[in-house]
Amino acid sequence: MAIVAKVWIDEDCITCDACQDICPEVFEVTDDSSMILAAVRTDGTFDRNAGGSPLVGSLGTDLGDVIIEAAEACPVEVIKYELVTEGGDAPAVEAEAPAVEAPVAAVAAVAPAAGASEALNAIFSGDRSLNILFGSQTGNAAGLAEKTAKMAANFGLEPNIIDMDGFDPSSLASMKRVMIITSTWGEGEMPDNAEDAWNAINAKGPALANTQFSVCAIGDTSYDEYCKAGHDWNDKLSSLGAQQIHPIQECDVDFEPAWKVWVAEALPKLACVDSSGGFLEELLEEMVAYGAGDDDGAVEGDFTPGVIERAELNITVEIFRYCPEAAESGWDTLACTVPGHATVQDLLLNMQQNVDGSLAFRRGSGAGTPTTGVRVNGRVALSDATMVSDLTTDGGHVKIEPLPGHPVVRDLIVDTSRYENHRSRAEPWMRTDPREGARLPSGAAMGAMDPALATGLHQAGDVLSFQLIQAMSDTIAHDPHYEGPGVHFQQWLRAMDPRTSEVQRRTLLKSLQEKDGVWSEADHASLMRYGEDGRLAAKGLNDARGALLNQSRYAGKSGRLVKWYGRSVKWSGKVNETTLYRQVLGPLGLVGNIFSGVSARMALAFTRNGAPPIRSLQALLLPPAGVGRIPNMINSKVEHYHEVVSLFNEIDQRF
Amino acid sequence: MAKIAYYPGNVARAGASEVEDTIQPLCQALNIELVELPRASSDGGNVIKQATPKLQDALVARNLALAESKGLDILTACASSHAIMCNTAEDMVRDPVYASTINNLVVRTSSIEYMGESKSWHLLHYLVEEIGLDKIRDAVKNPIKMNVAAYYGPDMQRQGACGNDDPFMPKYMEQLIEALGGTPVDYDSKCQSVGSTAILSLEDSALRMTAAVLSDAIDSGAELVVSACTVSHANLDSYQSKAGRVAGKYTTVPVCHLTELVAFALGFYPTRFAQLRTRVRLIGS
Repeated sequence: MAIVAKVWIDEDCITCDACQDICPEVFEVTDDSSMILAAVRTDGTFDRNAGGSPLVGSLGTDLGDVIIEAAEACPVEVIKYELVTEGGDAPAVEAEAPAVEAPVAAVAAVAPAAGASEALNAIFSGDRSLNILFGSQTGNAAGLAEKTAKMAANFGLEPNIIDMDGFDPSSLASMKRVMIITSTWGEGEMPDNAEDAWNAINAKGPALANTQFSVCAIGDTSYDEYCKAGHDWNDKLSSLGAQQIHPIQECDVDFEPAWKVWVAEALPKLACVDSSGGFLEELLEEMVAYGAGDDDGAVEGDFTPGVIERAELNITVEIFRYCPEAAESGWDTLACTVPGHATVQDLLLNMQQNVDGSLAFRRGSGAGTPTTGVRVNGRVALSDATMVSDLTTDGGHVKIEPLPGHPVVRDLIVDTSRYENHRSRAEPWMRTDPREGARLPSGAAMGAMDPALATGLHQAGDVLSFQLIQAMSDTIAHDPHYEGPGVHFQQWLRAMDPRTSEVQRRTLLKSLQEKDGVWSEADHASLMRYGEDGRLAAKGLNDARGALLNQSRYAGKSGRLVKWYGRSVKWSGKVNETTLYRQVLGPLGLVGNIFSGVSARMALAFTRNGAPPIRSLQALLLPPAGVGRIPNMINSKVEHYHEVVSLFNEIDQRF
Repeated sequence: MAKIAYYPGNVARAGASEVEDTIQPLCQALNIELVELPRASSDGGNVIKQATPKLQDALVARNLALAESKGLDILTACASSHAIMCNTAEDMVRDPVYASTINNLVVRTSSIEYMGESKSWHLLHYLVEEIGLDKIRDAVKNPIKMNVAAYYGPDMQRQGACGNDDPFMPKYMEQLIEALGGTPVDYDSKCQSVGSTAILSLEDSALRMTAAVLSDAIDSGAELVVSACTVSHANLDSYQSKAGRVAGKYTTVPVCHLTELVAFALGFYPTRFAQLRTRVRLIGS
């Protein structure tokens, strides 16, 4: 296996794309020339790499053969590279040297920072190791560990990524800087690869007086034990005497934004830890600037940074108020001016602080807290993640109401106990069968799930708040027993998770099929309205129905509706309402329509607004139509009707 | 004359013949030429989708491809049918592999292909955005002169299916009612579902939902409810007395379809319009 130290592009590239097709990780072809991507180079720039900047990390090893393949495939032979033998001998130059002498690749030695203070340069001269431990089940934490390591180099740190599988916690005692990134598995459990390390540190934990650390915990707020594994590590290291240099960061299923905040704040702090483990806080500001690549005087001339402006909005706000003591409800209306970037929560906070301190609402962290749902201007939304400027324009109106489908406790606070009770009974949490772990070629334990499947599973349920999904349903307010789409969606996600045990899967599907289950939703269109989250929920619940139809062989009214709808379309290309009414309602249902006045309204042409009733009466009189809204007993067929039949036969022959 | 392919939906040429009766003359009056698609089939009504999403998408893609083969967009007066066409078109754009699978099926069975060029229009959006309210106002012969509550339903009230109207606080139908000489009535439930086809399989819930919409419209001062959805129209009208009894609410109010309201205002079917006015006087709020 060849190891490539550096790769560059000579002039006269014909931009044929061959290199990018073969090795997109390294090459990107622009209109002018193939380029070496910034992410793979130690100098972090994006150009032909005429300066011969070395490849970062183990990239030259991992992709060496592919880079060479790309170079050999280049029709004009402008891709040049420099090879290193596996034994680490001096580089064997395979091509002519680049025009500019390449800097020495010295990842292990941290060069003094130009223009940095003496104190900062002093800290760079000592041990700069940073140990990044990850506990990962599906690879998310492992991926974040790799990204963290790349960013650590900006602060003059020498990152060392450590898989917790096989990790000896006693070695923590010699580590000065530690970052832990871990997911939480099941109901607050450690990921598989961290279990042994966790047990070991609990059995015999070393004294960590000289260790500075910070933890990034990945979890899922739909679980009761949110981010528990991360908190366990955080508490354990603290109890062993280690110094928490930066507070633990919790990350929900959309973990990337929260991780970015954490890594941007924790890395410079850890970079200010000296060789003895002491935190030199006075260097922090300079370190942040150093990591960001700030360099006073680097920019010359008349340069003004861009300013993003959001104009203030003059709006009228209407807020629902309810006082349980007096059992009175009403609306507060006021005109106000809000900054263009204000969220609905900012608006409510402002009102609470400056107008009426008794205004009650649920407050969130500002990053889309699942419990901050309200109905605002007709849509359900999270108040701390919805900007006023997305709801109205200057001079507009904002109407804020409690989340629909729940009893109101006070003002905008609703009682979600019905949802919680349904969820508790539905038990949509993970129960697995014993399973084997899988390992990457590198030896890292990554759990048993195929990454593509894990990604698909994550994407299928990647919604901000299941409580919000629950409130999207128009049905739930009208059926007190209906468990709701927020609960059923969680059940379905769990049922299609391959880690779920067979017993649990059967239990979940049985629960979804029962009365008050997934068939109790009258209209998925009410969910579909709510952007990507609503679309995902509607799709998941529709898929659940498909699975249950297969299982139940189209039993019940809902099953019969699907079966006969499909059959009638296959027969003629059109829906035959006669067939539907007869087959779905049955004789008793049809008779019920007569006595309830439904048939009379149809037959007497109430819906025609004066149209001739004869067409409706035909349906009443001509057998075997039955009774109901059935003017056409036998449909004429659409033209080229055989094409419709062919589609049915190609896709689904059950009808 | 504007030319567009016409898709009547699942029931306009069956149970909801009032839509078919009225859309043809109103389009003629507004210089809209409706081009028939005799090969078009049912769109599956979001019912077939429950068993096989791919089958419903293939049926819809075939209908869209039929319009596309004539170089036309497609018009419908049913919110549900319009939303279904938009959903399929969006799904095919979102996932080119899926689009290719669907198109392979359509090509194999029908020798046509949907390339994503034809798009669906609901009559409401077509009238407001393409024809223009001024032109409609000028064509009015019998002003509505009633307090009219617009019912949109949830199907087309989402981004990508409601034209340039606000998905959650729509105004197009109110603007149209004003242009037709009526007084629009604003009420909260205008985008709430009334259960659509679930009236057959989940009657109690659908009836309560229907009653909630109707009673909200009545409480807000509506003398007439106008529906943009053909399927929902049946729930709002034929089932309204039963819905009122089940939910324990007052629900008696005349209901008509959007196409009827526009056609009446443009001077068509004056006797039907007279009957509707009489009903509003007698039983309306």
